[in-house]
Amino acid sequence: MKVASTAIDENIRSLCPPGGRKARRSSHTAGYVLVLPYVVHFLTFVAFPLVFSFVLIFHRWDIVSQMQWVGLGNIRRLFHDPVFFRALANTGIFLLIHIPLQIVIALALAVLLNEKLPLRGFFRAVFFLPVVVSGVVTTMLWDSLYAQDTGVLNNVLSSLGLGRVPWLTSPFIAMPSIALMATWKNVGLYIVLFLVGLQSVPRYLYEAADIEGASAWRKFRDITLPMLNPTVVMVVILSTIGGFSLFIEPYIMTGGGPIRSTLSAVLYIYNQAFQFNHMGYAATLGFFFALIVFVVVILQKRFVERETGL
Amino acid sequence: MKSTRAALKKAFLYLLLVGWALVSLYPFVWMLSSTFRPETEIGRLNPIPGKWTLENYRLVFTKIPIGRAFANSLFVSLSVTAGVLIFTSMIGYALSRLRFRGRDGLFAVILFTMTLPFQITIIPMYVLMVKFGWNDSYYALIVPYLVNAFAIVVFRQYFKSVPEDLLDAARIDGCSDFDILFRIMWPLSVPALITVAIITFMNIWNEVLWPIIVIRKWELMTMPQLVALFAVGGKAEGLLGVRLAAAALLALPIVVAYAIFQRHFIASMATTGLKS
Amino acid sequence: MNRKAIVASATVVSAACGLLLSWSSCGTRASREASPRLIYWSANNQYEVDLARVLTAEWNALHPEIPVVHQPVPESQSTEEAVLAAVVGKTTPDVFSNMWPGDVEAYARAGQLVALDTFPDFAATIGARVDSLLLEEARSADGHIYQIPWKSNPVMVIYNVKMLAEAGYHRFPATYSEYLEAASKVTRDTDGDGHTDRWMGITDIRALWWQRFFDFYPLYIAATGGRTLLEHGKVSFDNQEAVQVFRFLRTLFARGFFPKERMVGRSDVFLQGIVASRFTGPWEIRHAEKFKPEGFVYDFAPMPRPDHAQGPVYTYGDMKNIVIFRNTRFPRQAWEFAKFLVSRQADLKLLELTDQLPLRKGLVNDSLYAPYFARNPFMLRFASQARYVRGTDTSPVLKEVFDIVSHEFEACVVYGVKTPERAIADAARQARLILE
Repeated sequence: MKVASTAIDENIRSLCPPGGRKARRSSHTAGYVLVLPYVVHFLTFVAFPLVFSFVLIFHRWDIVSQMQWVGLGNIRRLFHDPVFFRALANTGIFLLIHIPLQIVIALALAVLLNEKLPLRGFFRAVFFLPVVVSGVVTTMLWDSLYAQDTGVLNNVLSSLGLGRVPWLTSPFIAMPSIALMATWKNVGLYIVLFLVGLQSVPRYLYEAADIEGASAWRKFRDITLPMLNPTVVMVVILSTIGGFSLFIEPYIMTGGGPIRSTLSAVLYIYNQAFQFNHMGYAATLGFFFALIVFVVVILQKRFVERETGL
Repeated sequence: MKSTRAALKKAFLYLLLVGWALVSLYPFVWMLSSTFRPETEIGRLNPIPGKWTLENYRLVFTKIPIGRAFANSLFVSLSVTAGVLIFTSMIGYALSRLRFRGRDGLFAVILFTMTLPFQITIIPMYVLMVKFGWNDSYYALIVPYLVNAFAIVVFRQYFKSVPEDLLDAARIDGCSDFDILFRIMWPLSVPALITVAIITFMNIWNEVLWPIIVIRKWELMTMPQLVALFAVGGKAEGLLGVRLAAAALLALPIVVAYAIFQRHFIASMATTGLKS
Repeated sequence: MNRKAIVASATVVSAACGLLLSWSSCGTRASREASPRLIYWSANNQYEVDLARVLTAEWNALHPEIPVVHQPVPESQSTEEAVLAAVVGKTTPDVFSNMWPGDVEAYARAGQLVALDTFPDFAATIGARVDSLLLEEARSADGHIYQIPWKSNPVMVIYNVKMLAEAGYHRFPATYSEYLEAASKVTRDTDGDGHTDRWMGITDIRALWWQRFFDFYPLYIAATGGRTLLEHGKVSFDNQEAVQVFRFLRTLFARGFFPKERMVGRSDVFLQGIVASRFTGPWEIRHAEKFKPEGFVYDFAPMPRPDHAQGPVYTYGDMKNIVIFRNTRFPRQAWEFAKFLVSRQADLKLLELTDQLPLRKGLVNDSLYAPYFARNPFMLRFASQARYVRGTDTSPVLKEVFDIVSHEFEACVVYGVKTPERAIADAARQARLILE
């Protein structure tokens, strides 16, 4: 056994001249071997599901009995499904609140943290804490904070003489409440991303501005903000993807209510698939939501890139 | 005059920072303190319980198999992390240092999969798990996650910075590509390994949608799934303190890990910017 | 070089697979290979888990040749979701005792259940226990019976005797007008901060389909004198009574007698004296006894009805039945075990351990159960109500019909954005679409 393996080693050594055609050929083989796990994984868990989702779109299937061909039935249903459009609108509302709020808070705190301060590391670490904790924890936590008559938030508001807010039980406030919670959870991450961006702004730009006697606000508006544009794009795109992936927040807090006002794309797919067993329609929903994310992200990117001339 | 203005500015600055730090921390402190309170005391603002009790934690352990769920989560997260490190560094190495036909095409495919929203594959993936007979098994929680495009990109990028001379020297010494990858590249790429390990571990530890879809057996549930179902199901008998205690137990391991590797966590997450 | 690479990669892959295999085998697959034994799923609440343990232990002592392994049904948002997942994943148990009859039709059509009336002693044993009318209700469209009607939990009103007495009521209101009047006295702001802190009642405001079993559905059955949502597989609920029920519930929310929130921030609002009543089943007794504060007095009453309604008060009987799944390897033994679960002695255990009512003829007159009912007068009340209960219709899309009603309930009753007439008409229209 041992002898055989040394023999192989010797073999390899002789097959391994520096450069040369042989080395290149073996580089080919080794390359294929190294990427083999990926290719197998890709074919099974990416390519096949993609193809299969196209099959599902044209079928009605409860997974228990036989598949039934329905042609464009699922797609027609989707275009007449008010709930699908409701879920889209909900995602839109979420993003309209979440993205600006997030950018403003994260940018402000990042600018503050960019100063040379004692305890800077401590603050950064604290701001980042909600990012690493599971969404299940933060959702359960905020679910209790938001409770209308016993929650801490309303206790504070009513002790200040302000009214109690129906955080999760008003069809108009529930989605903004979830957006607020998501902002609280993610701000730490975006602070860090902005800090990376801030540190890449060349010093000399500020020095030049100082010589011209520019105010702090002008420096921020004319230098910092334009230089941070790529980071803003990133934050917008990551938030958009996050908005379309909302699931556990409404699943735990509201079940999608009141009046479907917090029904998210993924929660709707989940309900169709696992409550009513409509695998074909759930796959159709998945396909169209994915398509929309894809298009929205590309448009966002295009838009910002054109604006900044990159 | 100028110094008072500077001091004022500084005070204002700290006020904002301390304010947000409180906003970030207070909910956690409140949650933790609530878990030590009797049920009737929850909902008070004061973070220090009037009466201490461990009853909530006792109830969590008697009502749900949270110990087992912890073991499941740990096993699944560690297996996936180990698998991801091995498999994606292999691909990252091949893509950055080897020449073979279809390499650039493959990289384009990998980049494409990064842009693929998961909503499109989630239903077919579930069907696939059912057809494999993998639902209600660890396979479903581990195998689909063993490769991810983000990790490949990190490794490819990092491995590119290793000088070619080093590899040539190793090749002359008769090193195989596996030797080069695991004996030379790995020790040189500790930061990349840490980044990939932390992000993978954290994502898998916190993942909840996929387990909810493929796992129904109590004994196989990961912690986030078990705690989420505990929150929406009837097992908690409406007791808030018990639910929060379960949430606290779920948060604990990752908070401890974060306390120890705080810098690495933040640095790793900063690289997620690569995604876009 | 490449050979070594192949060897190494094979090692890595196989090591990973081996690791996975060894762990996975502690899970599902290994347990299925063991033989011969039966897997039995019960509901997963503590009381029924205790009952199932006791019954399983008894069976195992009597039948060591075919032991039963008991597992609570996996946790999910609802039991129905967990069962569906098990059917899909082919991880169903042999015997399951918490089957919602509304699901039986769909599973029977998909060939997932054993037709129990094909066992020769079915009529003799089950016919002797279960009321014949009820047994006919359990019959599927294809003429076979796939379920043993096991237990029923009539939905009634539990109320806080002191709170009602303080408002001047020594008997729980029986009609909508009385109920609303009582509600206007019970609901108030005790600490004067301008916010209501005592309510007449509470119900889950989320549009989850099964929550309507604890508000709209029992009220509808009571209002119609025992009608269900469908007749001969067609929508029949677009009637004046349904509109009345919606209007009644809508008034409760609109006038603030029911809180428009879930009250998740508290433990048990009924036992804490924050809400005066709620619609519930007999399982509430055990819960109340366990968690009620000192000096707390409660009682049960029939569902309120529209004014001038006549005859006995019907309600929804939340039924749970026993089924045997088709993929069992031991149908005969599973049948024996199912019969064991509905024996006279087992029914006594069901009463004693869970306070739920076995669907057994002459339950209150049977001397075996007399001591139990003497000790539990509340249960006697539920047992008498059990004569006037209706279950759910048999339709493969019943869940969706309830889902539709739930969303209309939410829009009209809770948030008042639709009139009761519109909501019922919309629900009926959508339900007809689905039934076609």
